[in-house]
Amino acid sequence: MKTSSSEYLDAFGVSAEQLQALVGEGLRSGGDWCDLFFEDTSYSELMLRDGEVSAGGSHIDYGCGIRVLCGEKTGYAYAERTDMPSLIAAARSASAISQTGAGGVVARKQLKYNQLPEEPLTPQGQRHFEQNTAVQTVSRHGQLYPQREDWRNSRAAELVPVLRKLESLIRAKDTSVHKVIAMLAWQVSDILMYNSLGETTTDTRPVGSLSVTVIFVRGSQTEMNNASRSFRMGVEMITDSLLEELATQVTAGMDERFDARRPKGGKMPVVMAAGASGILLHEAMGHAFEADFNRKGQSIFADKMGKRVAAKGINILDDATIPFNRGAVRVDDEGVPGQKTYMVEDGILRSYLHDRISAAYYGVAPTGNGRRESFRYNPIPRMRCTYMESGRDGSCQDLIAGVKKGIFVDQFSNGEVKIGEGDFTFYVKSGRLIENGRLTMPVKDINIVGNGPRALADIVGVAGDLKIDDSTWTCGKEQSAFVSCGIPSVLVKELTVGGE
Amino acid sequence: MLEKDEKILTRECLKMALEAGASKARASLSKNTMNIVATLDGEVDKITACLDRSINVNLFVDGRYGTFSTNKLDADSLRSFIVRAVETTRMLAPDPCRDLPEPSRTAKDAVDGSELGICDPAWRSITPEQRIAFALDNCCGRTCSSASLPPRTRPAQQSSSEEHVLPQPKNNWKLISEEGEYSDSEYWNYVVDTQGTEVLHAETSFEFFTELTIQDSRGRKYSGGWWEAAPLLKDFHPEKVAPAALEEAVMQIGPRRCRSGKYRAVIDSEVSQKVLNPILNALNAFNIQQKNSFLTDALGKQVFPAGLDIMDMPRIPGEACGKMFDSEGVATANHYIVKDGVVQEFFVNTYMANKLGVAPTIEDAMRPVICRFGNGVSRQDIMKTCGDGILITDFCGGNSNPATGDFSYAIQGYRFKDGKIVHPVREMLITGNILDLWSRLLAAGDDARRCRAKLTPTLAFDQVDFSG
Repeated sequence: MKTSSSEYLDAFGVSAEQLQALVGEGLRSGGDWCDLFFEDTSYSELMLRDGEVSAGGSHIDYGCGIRVLCGEKTGYAYAERTDMPSLIAAARSASAISQTGAGGVVARKQLKYNQLPEEPLTPQGQRHFEQNTAVQTVSRHGQLYPQREDWRNSRAAELVPVLRKLESLIRAKDTSVHKVIAMLAWQVSDILMYNSLGETTTDTRPVGSLSVTVIFVRGSQTEMNNASRSFRMGVEMITDSLLEELATQVTAGMDERFDARRPKGGKMPVVMAAGASGILLHEAMGHAFEADFNRKGQSIFADKMGKRVAAKGINILDDATIPFNRGAVRVDDEGVPGQKTYMVEDGILRSYLHDRISAAYYGVAPTGNGRRESFRYNPIPRMRCTYMESGRDGSCQDLIAGVKKGIFVDQFSNGEVKIGEGDFTFYVKSGRLIENGRLTMPVKDINIVGNGPRALADIVGVAGDLKIDDSTWTCGKEQSAFVSCGIPSVLVKELTVGGE
Repeated sequence: MLEKDEKILTRECLKMALEAGASKARASLSKNTMNIVATLDGEVDKITACLDRSINVNLFVDGRYGTFSTNKLDADSLRSFIVRAVETTRMLAPDPCRDLPEPSRTAKDAVDGSELGICDPAWRSITPEQRIAFALDNCCGRTCSSASLPPRTRPAQQSSSEEHVLPQPKNNWKLISEEGEYSDSEYWNYVVDTQGTEVLHAETSFEFFTELTIQDSRGRKYSGGWWEAAPLLKDFHPEKVAPAALEEAVMQIGPRRCRSGKYRAVIDSEVSQKVLNPILNALNAFNIQQKNSFLTDALGKQVFPAGLDIMDMPRIPGEACGKMFDSEGVATANHYIVKDGVVQEFFVNTYMANKLGVAPTIEDAMRPVICRFGNGVSRQDIMKTCGDGILITDFCGGNSNPATGDFSYAIQGYRFKDGKIVHPVREMLITGNILDLWSRLLAAGDDARRCRAKLTPTLAFDQVDFSG
């Protein structure tokens, strides 16, 4: 594993002087900011299907993205080779944003891209400047995701038995298991960033994911369930307890699933279970907190800063600093340290999620949310791990006990939101009816629809059982990004439930 | 343009694979060159230049199979990558069903990539200035009625584009934001294998997309989006985009809920592929083999209404999304998927054919087409025929159970009576079973969008469950 910026420079075959020259090339025709993003990603997967691990492969993605900012405007280009001629060509393409003349580009607002403030520091580490290299380096002492065993040194032969063992555990738990499809995937990215402030930032980001889909057949009925876990960890994430946990989750509740029916639809109270229900927070509210949607006036929260958007006591945050979490980032893709950002504090909207452009636009410090799928994309504000803090309304059972007729949902999927309107839809994978304060008939194949801000305002109970969900969540806003989510059990006063 | 050296390098991968110990191999080079100009509120916001090249290698080693890809395309990097890939493949379990397709099945007529006529030489001559002009000239301020726009986006001089007249009663709104994106690209795909297969595909694309956010007098926001694309510049009409997006946004002002119940549903051609996708997935041999399909026993049976024809038509010259071969290099053909309601074929690649012991077909529907019921039938004609119902113009999430066909989708659209739109509806859901839904098909229009990969027209269904 690389430990100093000079190792990253060597790996990409560039020198500190060349980085400076490239930034100079990007800004030759003008512009307020230029940054470089070098990436070397190795991705591998192994798949078990029909009882054998007979499919797998590996993939390499390598290159450098160059961005020039002119006010709020972006010029972007990338090269898949890191020799100087290729990089200079990319820098010149990116500089087009400052060459298009008054007919094309007139910055609506002059922005200043400043040095980051020294504070706030995050709990896991602190900013410092390495002095032992030719360029200033921003890095952090704290390691959010050190790999004890680097995936890149692993061999398929050592990992194949993991999937076989997982299948055995699953089949041992339920005799109606018909098919098991299990996948172990990992990727490790070496990242080197440099910007026109002369800051060099490096990071090595691992992500390991283990996921399983099981098809159950009982008589003429077929049902499917899936479960997954993903961490920014090395090979050491694979443990017996992880396999047992996944096997238990994917086979749990199948008796109910086979008995589940589509309920009568309508408007009703909804209790969402702790953990994976946090995806609703991500989709229905989190995107509307992303500063680009607000900067453009599109978000439903664009004019709500400092105003009440939820009941007192509700805190919603986006956190890059949870060790080994799938959404953790030591530094974002603009070299800004990952941090813990409260969007809603005690029900009041306190902050959007910023990249450098939106931070400069609003005149605030960036929040470390500038992220990108790869060097092929310019960074934009993205969530990391978004969750709501625990409340003081007892347990999930207490929330259910207060509902006369409603729905309890413990697994969601396929969420979608319209940012401007705030309307959202979520598919309910599993849940139950609530009748007179008790869980009754299992339900399936329904959707819940609502409006994000209204649902946020309609949260009338928050239990004290916050759970972060470690499934393989990937956000798809223009580009894909690893994220995670969490929530305590909550009671929403009224949502529309689709049914018969 | 695909360079001669790039073809040589791709073929070299096969040689490297065999030298490293593979018994068979396939290599596929993809090269995409794209330029994007994005606008925000009528000004250039982002200019992006992209060139992507990568080689995907499928290796068959000692009865085992692996898939690998890299964009490090210098010969030394490729060689060491393939050597490692062969070593990795050896660690997997044997799978006798993995094989290259029979050489007789691969395309012999995809030689220089020009056969389908969807690679426009005009793409090469487009200048950066023209790209910026495309993006700016087709912004809302230039293509929509100036009388309907707030001062911020009203152009100083009206462009020569034809004015679009908005539905007038709903003019109590202001434009909050307009994002537009013009892009053009040239894509090449070159596939070779160790059995002598050699096929080449080339296409260009010109695209324009606009998303608008408006706010009504009560402060509620509504968004509308539209997209046009064409493989050939002469067929590209970006001037239609902003007016259509604006109309979509404005038409949504003042939504109401409808009482839950059964309605006739008219699904607009822009989104009707949503109810075709579960069928295509269910016809895929992979899902059938995994017992994850509601059409497992459907081959040769009438499971759809008489009169319904669904074809795969990937070989229509000049049409977007055409392809003469699939990812295995197998030749495509224009053929029936469903004829007169009877399922004609499953999508079976070489691997699934060996697994299931059936004849291979094609790996997937390449360019499926729902055949029209009558010439020139429009959405309006269908609404008039249906009388009362709900017009669905967008789906907003939801799910279809692949094993049972049960679905639940959130929708956005309009209540219509006597064939005329009465008011917008939102926060409503439709639920049902996909086979049951198709059994109640009333009409299929003649208005499929040519720029789509799936050509689905406006469809009408009877007795659909709506809740909200």
